[in-house]
Amino acid sequence: MTAFEGFLITGLVTGCIYALIAMGLVVTYTTTGIFNFSHGAIAMFAAYMFWQLWQGWDLNVILSFLLVLLVIAPLFGLLIEVLLMRPLRGASVDLMLVITLGLLLALVGIANSAWSPTVTRVLPQLYNGDGFRVGKVLVSWHELITVGALVAVAIVLRMLFTRARVGVAMRAVVDNPDLVAMAGGRPIRVQQLSWALSCSLAALGGMLLAPIQQLNILNLTLLVVDGYAAAIIGRLRNLPVSVAGAIVIAVGQQMAQGYLPNSGFLTRVQNIIPMIVLFIVLIALPQDRLKSATFADAVAPRVASLRASVSTGTVLVVAALITAGFLSGPNLKIGANGFVTGIELLSLVLLTGYGGMTSLCVLSFVGLGAFAMSHVGGSGGSLLGVLAAIGLAGGVGALVALPTLRLRGLYLALATFSFATVMDLAVFTQILGTGGNLAVARVHIPGIPTQSDRAYFTVCAVAFVLVAIGVLALRRGSFGRRLVATNDSPAACATLGVNVNGTKLITFTIAAGLAGFAGALAGGVPGSVSANDFAALGSLVVLLLARIGGINTATGALLGASTLTVFSVAQPHLPGWVGQLQYTLTGLAAISVGRSPNGFGGRIASLIERVRPRSDELPEELTSVNDDGTVGSVFFAEEKELAHAGH
Amino acid sequence: MPATRGAGPALDPVLEVADLSVRFGGINAVSDVSLSVMPGRVTGLIGPNGAGKTTTFNVITGLQEPTHGSVFIDGKEISTLPPYKRARLGLARTFQRLEVFGSLTVYENVLAAAEFHKSWSSDPTPPVKVAAEVIDRVGLRRVANARVDALPTGISRLVELGRALATRPRVLLLDEVGSGLNPDETAALGDLMLALVSDGTAILLVEHDVELVMRVCAQIFVLDFGRLIASGTPAEIQNDPGVQAAYLGSDEIAS
Repeated sequence: MTAFEGFLITGLVTGCIYALIAMGLVVTYTTTGIFNFSHGAIAMFAAYMFWQLWQGWDLNVILSFLLVLLVIAPLFGLLIEVLLMRPLRGASVDLMLVITLGLLLALVGIANSAWSPTVTRVLPQLYNGDGFRVGKVLVSWHELITVGALVAVAIVLRMLFTRARVGVAMRAVVDNPDLVAMAGGRPIRVQQLSWALSCSLAALGGMLLAPIQQLNILNLTLLVVDGYAAAIIGRLRNLPVSVAGAIVIAVGQQMAQGYLPNSGFLTRVQNIIPMIVLFIVLIALPQDRLKSATFADAVAPRVASLRASVSTGTVLVVAALITAGFLSGPNLKIGANGFVTGIELLSLVLLTGYGGMTSLCVLSFVGLGAFAMSHVGGSGGSLLGVLAAIGLAGGVGALVALPTLRLRGLYLALATFSFATVMDLAVFTQILGTGGNLAVARVHIPGIPTQSDRAYFTVCAVAFVLVAIGVLALRRGSFGRRLVATNDSPAACATLGVNVNGTKLITFTIAAGLAGFAGALAGGVPGSVSANDFAALGSLVVLLLARIGGINTATGALLGASTLTVFSVAQPHLPGWVGQLQYTLTGLAAISVGRSPNGFGGRIASLIERVRPRSDELPEELTSVNDDGTVGSVFFAEEKELAHAGH
Repeated sequence: MPATRGAGPALDPVLEVADLSVRFGGINAVSDVSLSVMPGRVTGLIGPNGAGKTTTFNVITGLQEPTHGSVFIDGKEISTLPPYKRARLGLARTFQRLEVFGSLTVYENVLAAAEFHKSWSSDPTPPVKVAAEVIDRVGLRRVANARVDALPTGISRLVELGRALATRPRVLLLDEVGSGLNPDETAALGDLMLALVSDGTAILLVEHDVELVMRVCAQIFVLDFGRLIASGTPAEIQNDPGVQAAYLGSDEIAS
C-alpha cells in the first residue's frame, strides 16, 4: 500500500497548492469582478524571482522566500492594480480578457528574456527535500510546509472576510464601490489590498509548486491553470468548495498517473484531468438566462462594401506579386506565414468580432487542418486535403460548440481554453508528434505554380484575400445581420423567432472551418508541423494579435498578422537576451492598443471615413415612402420645432 | 384553459395565461394570474411599478420560467416551448428595458426582423418590402440610416415596435412603448395601435399613460403586487374601488 499512500500524499500536497492558486483568483474576482488570467504567470514569475534571490544571488532561503512573498509580490499587485486593473472596473469581459491575457503573455516573454529557457535551473525543495517518516511513507518538510501554508491562509482569509472591517469592506466593494465610497469607505484602497493579497497567494503557490514539479516557464504558467478548475468549481465565490475541488482534482491526477497503463494515449490523461474537470464543470454550471443587450466599448467601423473589398483585395494581391520578386527565401516564408495567420485572424473576426464569442482555441482547429492536409492531401498536396482540413476542423468545431453554446463571456473563454489545452497536451502530441515532424505538402492546384517559396507566398496572399472578401460578404448579408443581432441582444432575437444557439453553432462551425483552411496552408510553409506549433499559448497570441489589429475588420486581421510578421523578421537581428520578443511585445501591445476592439484597423477606418465620408443615401426601397402623421414623423416634426424655438 | 364555448370563432382568445405564479427567492412577483387576449382588440395590462407586468410578459414569451401556470396560443399549450418557437406561432414583443440591435441601423434592425420572419414563415413577401412598409407605418424614415445605439430612448422604443411588426405578429406585446413620448406622439401611437387591431392583430399593452390605455383598450387587467385585482372594460376599471385603492395617492385612474 506504500505506493497508494505516496500517490495520496503527493496528490494532497499538489491539491493544497492548487487551492492556494484558486484562493488568489477568488479573492480578486470577488472584490474586483476581474478574472485574472495572468494569475498563473504571476506564480511562475514569483518562482523564478525566488530562484534568482536564493540560488542565483545566494541569499538566505527564508529571507528570499519572505522577500518574494511579502514585498515583491504585493508591490507587483499594487503596480498592476494602478496601471491595468483599476480602469477595468465595469469593463466588458472581453476587455478584461485582453488585458489579463496580455499581461500573461508579457510576463512569459519577459521571463524568457531574463531566464533563458535553454539553461536548466533547479529550485530545490525547502530543507533540501528532507523530511520524516509516517509509517513507510516519507513526508518532506516542504510538503508539510505546503499543507501548513494552506491551513494558515485559509484561517487568515476566513478571519479577514468575516471579522475584520477591511474584509467586510472588500466584500461590499464588489457589489457597489460607489456606495462604499459614499459610506466613507475607500474602495480603491480595498482593491489595492486585494490585488496585493492575490499576488502574494500566487507567489506562495508558485514557490511551493516549482520544486515539486520543475522550474519551467511554460509548464508553470499552464500548470497553475489547473488551479482555475478548482476556482470554477467554487463558482469563483466559494472558498471552501474551491479548496475541496482542488484537492479532489490533484488526488485524482496522482491516482491516474499511478494506476493507468503506462503507454499510449492514457499516459497523457493525468495531464489533462484538471482541464477535463474544468470543461465539465463549466458546461454543467447553471447559466444566466438570456442576457440583455450590452453595448460594445466602441462603435465598430462600417463594413466595407463589395466593391471596396474586391478592389482593396486586388491591390493587395498585386502588391504581393511585386514584393515576392524582392524577398529572400526565409522572408517569403515569414510572409506566407503572415497571410496564413491573417486567415486565422479572419476566423476570429467572424466569431468574436461579429458574433461576440470569445475563442481561446483557434490553433486547435489550425492543427487539425494541418493534420488532415498531411494525411488526406498526401505528398502531392491534393486539393482534397484542403477540403478534408476544412471538414475536420469544422466538424470538431461543431462538436465543441454544441455543449458550450450556452456559455458566454468568461465561461466560454475558459471552456475553449480548456479544450485547447487538452488538444495541446493529449491529442497533438499523439497525432503530430513533438520532436518528430509531420510532413505537410504545399497544396497542388492544377495549372498554377504553387510549389516554390515565391509562388506559395502568392498563393497564401490570394487565399487571405478570398477569405477576407468572403467574410465581409457574409457580414453584409442576411446571415451577418442575424449574427450581429444575436450578439447585440440574444433575448430580442429569440422573441423574433431566431434560434440563437443554432446561429451560434453555424458561426462556430464556419470559423473553425476557416481556421482548418489556414491549417492546410500553414503546414506547407515550412513543409512540416509538430505539436509545438499549436500549443494552447499560441491561441492566446492569435487572439491578442486580432485585438491589436482590430477584431471587427478585415483590415484589422491584415494589420494583426503584419504585426507578427514584423516581429518575426526582426527576431534574428536582435541580441539573444531580448528572447521571445513576440510574446513580450504582443502582450504589451494588446494591453495598450488592444483596449479598443477596433484596434489599429478601426483607427485607419475612421481616418478614411473622415477623408471620404460615406453617402448617407437611404436604401432604394425607402425613397418613395411617405410617413406623414405616423408616430415617428410626429416625433421628428416636434424635434424640429424645438430646434427652431431654440434659435 | 379551454376557449370560450358557444361563441363564434372571432371571440376565441388568441392568447391565454392560466394560474400563473412566479417566485423570485421569497418574493411572489406574480401570483395566480389568469388573463386572455382577444384578436382584433387592444387588451390592457396595468398596475403600479413592480406589479408583475414585465414578468408576465417574460413568462408569455418564454424568457422566464414560471413557478406555476401555463400559457396557451389558440388554445394550444406553449409553456414548454423555447422563446423562438413561441415567436414562430405569431408572438412578438417590445422590451421595457431596451433590447435593440445597437450596432445596426434602424433600417437594418427592421430588415433583420423581416428576414428572420421570412426564414421561418411561408410568407413570400421579400424582407426589404416588409421593412419599407414597417418603416413607413411607424414613421422611422428620417432615422433609417442611423445606428440605433446613437438614438434617444423614445425613438429606440419605436424601433423595437417596428422590429416586432416586421415579423407580422398575430399577438403583439407592447411593454411601455409609449413612455418618453409627448401627448401628440402618444396620440399618433394610439392611432397606430387601433389601425393594427382593425387588421385583426391582438395587442397586449403595458402602459402607464392612463389616457392612452382608456382610449385604445377594449379590455383591461389590473395587477397589484403580483395579483390580479380587477378586470373589465375601461369604464368598469375606472369605477372599481379596489383599483382606486391601489392607485390611491396618485388618483390618476379616476381623473
